[in-house]
Amino acid sequence: MEDKEQKLENNVMGKIKSGKIGLKSKYLFLAEKLGLGTAFALSVLLSVLLFNLILFYLKETDNLKYLSLGKFGIFAFLESFPYLLVVAFVILIGLSGYLITKSDVSYKKPFGYLAVGLVIFIMLFGGILTFTNLAHGIEKQARGGGPAGMFLTPLTNMRNSGVAGIVFERGDDYLILETPHGLRNVGIENVEEVPSIEKGQFIIAVGSQDGHDFNVEKIKIVDKKDVSAIGRGIEFKFGPFVGKDLNEESIKLLPPDLLYFNKQYRDCVKICFDSEIDSKDCFKECHK
Amino acid sequence: MEQLSDEQIVTDILRGDKDLYREIIKRYNEKLSRYLRKFLSDRDDIEDILQVVFIKAYKNLYGFNVNKKFSSWIYRIAHNEAINHLKRFRNGRISLDDIEYKLIDEKADIKRDADRMFLKKDIERVISNLNIKYRDPIVLFYFEDMSYEEISDVLRIPKNTVGTLILRGKNLIKQYLEDINKKHGR
Repeated sequence: MEDKEQKLENNVMGKIKSGKIGLKSKYLFLAEKLGLGTAFALSVLLSVLLFNLILFYLKETDNLKYLSLGKFGIFAFLESFPYLLVVAFVILIGLSGYLITKSDVSYKKPFGYLAVGLVIFIMLFGGILTFTNLAHGIEKQARGGGPAGMFLTPLTNMRNSGVAGIVFERGDDYLILETPHGLRNVGIENVEEVPSIEKGQFIIAVGSQDGHDFNVEKIKIVDKKDVSAIGRGIEFKFGPFVGKDLNEESIKLLPPDLLYFNKQYRDCVKICFDSEIDSKDCFKECHK
Repeated sequence: MEQLSDEQIVTDILRGDKDLYREIIKRYNEKLSRYLRKFLSDRDDIEDILQVVFIKAYKNLYGFNVNKKFSSWIYRIAHNEAINHLKRFRNGRISLDDIEYKLIDEKADIKRDADRMFLKKDIERVISNLNIKYRDPIVLFYFEDMSYEEISDVLRIPKNTVGTLILRGKNLIKQYLEDINKKHGR
């Protein structure tokens, strides 16, 4: 036994003395610590930011509001849900948790408490960030195609199961809505109880897309401030034309790209508008 | 030399006195070998792992915080190597020598009226089959004579958890032994 011990000792010391094995540089350990600390700080910061964006998205867009519209509302909710944002947030929380276990902070501390502390910290600071304009800046990037806007892409995506916008024109069985994607023709003939809707009111509706039109199953008037991101989207899209009356002048000014339809349809409606025909008739005429 | 603490020796090695590492090997060779025997049965495997442990410890000496206990640090390396080996290969049956058996018999208070040699084999089998989560703190506490604080350093778990795991592990051992006794009609 002693021989074996001696042999092991000689073996290891021989390798050390011959230089076959050497000490790893202290800078390597320093870099490892710094790298770990930086990665942890970044993942926590990003988690805070993403949590703030999730709060922002749920509070200021149409996503959650659809849930009050029954079965169709669930489809619209699922369609407009910010999956990338939530998945990225969950991954980052996991990464932060993993990195904390690798750092000196967690040394001999129960992981459960650390994880709860981490989540509370992220939620608290994510909540505090809602008092800043950070999310609005990222919303602008989403509309302008900036890289940070990728997390809010669902905000600018066209929905097939839901629509939200300002009433531009009201007919017996249709609405023309100003939406972040332009004017949309919305059929309300299937709706059992249509609320008293007036021009300029903000509505959300659920149903299904049928060609150029959106057939509504359920509709609800909402306060503009409850879907303020949609309101800003409309202002972004329409600029000076937002909420304009369909008088002779505005019809002529209205650019065809404000219409969420294909080129042939847009050209048709533009020509029709220029002819000063009523907009309702224009949409119907071009739809044939 | 014997008066120097492990941490002082490490500081001197880092200052350039490589030969002092021989003292570290001398101090921990037997201890770590005994510790690894609680996870592995093959003596060649134990020797190979022991060598890896000493080499890894030397290479990473700058990663050791001299304000902490060196023993916990090197046991941690041995622990990780043992776990890695267990993950790669099948868990071997451990073997207790008489002193170790006496230790667990007295300290863990699991002695029964049955034939002691028969019980020793039972305990060996039970500890071999014990989940690594419980086996680790039990081995460190009863065989390596470490305090809860030191075990908590080696396993990087809170001190309270060490106590809980030892208690649960001890109860499991008792339970297994009772089952064995019932099975054999003792």
